[in-house]
Amino acid sequence: MKRMLELVRMTAVRSLKVRYRGTALGVLWSLANPLMMTAVYTTIFGTAYSQYYGGSIVRYILAAFVGLVVVGFFMASTSEALASVVGNGTLLNKIAVPPAVFPLAAVAANVFQQAVTTFPILLFVALVVTHDATRAVLLPFVLLGLVLLATGFGLALSALYVFFRDLAHVWTIVGFILWITSPLFYPAEIAPAQIRPWFVVNPVAIEMSALRDVVIGTGPVHFDTVVLACLSGLAACALGALFFAAVRREFMDLL
Amino acid sequence: MPAAIELRGVGVVRRTQEELHYDLKRTTLDILRGRVRKIRRHTVLDCIDLRVDHGEKIGVIGPNGSGKSTLLKLVAGVLAPTRGTVATEGTIAPLIEIGVGFDPELTLVDNVVYYGVLMGHHESLVREHVDDILEFAELGSIRDQPTKTLSSGMSARLGFAIATEFRPDILLLDEVLAVGDERFRRRCAARIDRFWDANSTIVLVSHDLGSIARTCDRVIWIEGGRIEFDGPAETGVERYLASVPGTHGFTSGNDLVELARVSKNGEVPVRGTSPTPQGLRLYLVRENGLRHYISNDEFYAKTNYAWEDIVHVDDALILEVPEGERIS
Repeated sequence: MKRMLELVRMTAVRSLKVRYRGTALGVLWSLANPLMMTAVYTTIFGTAYSQYYGGSIVRYILAAFVGLVVVGFFMASTSEALASVVGNGTLLNKIAVPPAVFPLAAVAANVFQQAVTTFPILLFVALVVTHDATRAVLLPFVLLGLVLLATGFGLALSALYVFFRDLAHVWTIVGFILWITSPLFYPAEIAPAQIRPWFVVNPVAIEMSALRDVVIGTGPVHFDTVVLACLSGLAACALGALFFAAVRREFMDLL
Repeated sequence: MPAAIELRGVGVVRRTQEELHYDLKRTTLDILRGRVRKIRRHTVLDCIDLRVDHGEKIGVIGPNGSGKSTLLKLVAGVLAPTRGTVATEGTIAPLIEIGVGFDPELTLVDNVVYYGVLMGHHESLVREHVDDILEFAELGSIRDQPTKTLSSGMSARLGFAIATEFRPDILLLDEVLAVGDERFRRRCAARIDRFWDANSTIVLVSHDLGSIARTCDRVIWIEGGRIEFDGPAETGVERYLASVPGTHGFTSGNDLVELARVSKNGEVPVRGTSPTPQGLRLYLVRENGLRHYISNDEFYAKTNYAWEDIVHVDDALILEVPEGERIS
């Protein structure tokens, strides 16, 4: 267990070093993306949708930013994890390393990036906007749910990619469906009533609504959404890990 | 006293290469058509019982594709056996084709530390040894440069230096001594000799039969995934050589071309010919409608072949390719 943690840490540090080698802003780039995307969404949709946010364009901006953090983190972690086992195939053929190290490290590297950029902003916004200490306390739990969700998907995808090398294309499409069906830049109210129940089965949308409730929610905290976010994260992580463990034995023949 | 390495009733069944081209699209189409492709598997090792005591130096010989490297992978823990058990005692330095797995963008130091941790050492311990490792590889002056600036020989040197820095209880050697230039090869050999003198257990896979007969106490000859012979090194090498028809001592491409004519389907087993880590490389070339085999030296001397006319046969079997078939 201790060795596993050291391996994951070293692998995550390695990929962060590679990513930020020679960039002046370094890790701050991962802040630039959601900020710029928020600006784009606000410019295009801000005026039209602000009526759903109590006429406040600031609330729209915050809602879009929170949504982008969720989707950005989820998609980056899962797509990096997807290729990680295959990408380290030669290494796995030389040295006895638990293959789960690589998808876990991919998620860990992204957690680190967000932890030094967007997560503190979320905490700050939660305190300023909601004036509610309970929400600030709940924030880490919702984020944990999100991280677990990405971990579960990352493990399952990295294992599947060993067997299906065209999975990256499929995941691009599935990922797009997941993020377009999460009410990221639009209010959930504009979707047809028949479609809205589907938002509930989209795990990314579950995390998003819980995070929004905690960061920019009004009125009493919806504990049920927070609990649902944690549980769905846990469930995804457990299923992903079980799947990974079940097919792990077949890896070495295909790497 | 427990053995350093013990394999009991070990069998390895692996998927065959064509399964590598599996993809989701094809699988889905196949299922829709009601055609479920059966996964093809083949037995690489079978009924292997092997006990290696501490301090034994053991050579593994046999034709290419007989399962020698798979045996090393089992001992290194990279591969799990399909049947039976593999038990090892002590630290293991894997030297299976060292030098790969370095990240080209990272500095030498970062790669050394990462590789060391992967091998199972603590980060702090590896950091203490970084200077020694780089010094042995003679790369200390460029320690903070990205690894992509290294030549292949240099990165092989670095790999060897890392893998052998921490004296292992069990050392697995897969034809690695042929890395780097002559000077570095001597230094490698000197270092290996120290392990040899110490009580390290050594498993050496090599086609250099002479050196195996000289340096190893015991030899395992693997043929078709089974142990054909297990005993004194000299006897093993002799019997192995006697079993290879008409190949005794041949080394040149000409002999192989001759053999290709003799053998029925154009398959030529290449055995015990080359001390290079890659083995003997042979190319099947079509030229003016004629096909002939040439060895790597000739190939590099004459490079005006079109790629699709060349089959690169990497140290294994030469297979006749049907006329008109494209090779990728």
